[in-house]
Amino acid sequence: MHYPIGLLFDLLASSSALPWNITVHFKSFPEKDLLHCPSKDAIEAHFMSCMKEADALKHKSQVINEMQKKDHKQLWMGLQNDRFDQFWAINRKLMEYPAEENGFRYIPFRIYQTTTERPFIQKLFRPVAADGQLHTLGDLLKEVCPSAVDPEDGEKKNQVMIHGIEPMLETPLQWLSEHLSYPDNFLHISIIPQPTD
Amino acid sequence: MEEDEFIGEKTFQRHCAEFIKHSQQIGDSWEWRPSKDCSDGYMCKIHFQIKNGSVMSHLGASTHGQTCLPMEEAFELPLDDCEVIETAAASEVIKYEYHVLYSCSYQVPVLYFRASFLDGRPLTLKDIWEGVHECYKTRLLQGPWDTITQQEHPILGQPFFVLHPCKTNEFMTPVLKNSQKINKNVNYITSWLSIVGPVVGLNLPLSYAKATSQDERNVD
Repeated sequence: MHYPIGLLFDLLASSSALPWNITVHFKSFPEKDLLHCPSKDAIEAHFMSCMKEADALKHKSQVINEMQKKDHKQLWMGLQNDRFDQFWAINRKLMEYPAEENGFRYIPFRIYQTTTERPFIQKLFRPVAADGQLHTLGDLLKEVCPSAVDPEDGEKKNQVMIHGIEPMLETPLQWLSEHLSYPDNFLHISIIPQPTD
Repeated sequence: MEEDEFIGEKTFQRHCAEFIKHSQQIGDSWEWRPSKDCSDGYMCKIHFQIKNGSVMSHLGASTHGQTCLPMEEAFELPLDDCEVIETAAASEVIKYEYHVLYSCSYQVPVLYFRASFLDGRPLTLKDIWEGVHECYKTRLLQGPWDTITQQEHPILGQPFFVLHPCKTNEFMTPVLKNSQKINKNVNYITSWLSIVGPVVGLNLPLSYAKATSQDERNVD
């Protein structure tokens, strides 16, 4: 489903050994469940659409709208051709925020769980509290996905995973957004059951 | 000034409720569907439309091979009129499903939709682009991928076509500012849907607009 491959791995196969063996189907496309991928243009459009949505949350779209078309193209080409510096030359602007603020307006994130019908949880969430304190990953989960939060003295039921690792719940969300976002500028967070080995 | 341009989720839900109230009065079949966890939801409408043979001819023999029309309760056809059946058989009935959701990222409503033939075959993005009304075609062709794309429905998780919300504020702000100037109540959903709906074949009866001003009179 147009999801980053790393996210799919975390969500569906994180306990598998690498390399991840997958089966590719050429018949019986599940029209009702999957998006079509007709061309490279479609992938570019989807990627840019996520970028724009992330900036709508971070900067009310001001930064991405001020960019020229060639800057948008550079983001896509940098990603497509695996050119880190080319990509970050533009992406760094999307990671900035006004000096008088302590972070972005809202944090672009999506929380995925295989146990829910809803494909993901996405809500408005500020990185900084009214008193100026930085919100943490734990604060985010408590607010938007309380069922995923393990009771303090209970057993650990879930893993909260980004890019295959479990960041500490005390990590400031602003920092995670700047440093652990996917190329589309979203934090794609998987909640998976704690493995029982 | 920001409050003029965006609407919050509660306001969105309130305007949807008013919109649906009028829909029920005129039998327009919009309904509210809450999400499974009931934390949010969306407005939904299904309608059927006949596409004539010439528009869908690129689909080939399968459409013309049909000699009898599948029956759906909502779709009535005078069966004893053979001439009508023959014409209709060369056409296709398309089921359109429209959903109005709230985007918290853009803080505006978003129109999701999907279309399929009665046998369940979905229309493709190409079919949808081709079906857009002539007067919107130029705009669509300037940037098809910026206008209508296929995306995952945020509540149902299934593929839907979406009318991009990023330009919504551009055309809604003047509507809202003007309504404030002339001191008239405007239902955001009615105004917004009357602008974006026709692009994808969804038209609103005029009575929706009159309904809003009537509510205003009753409030006084």
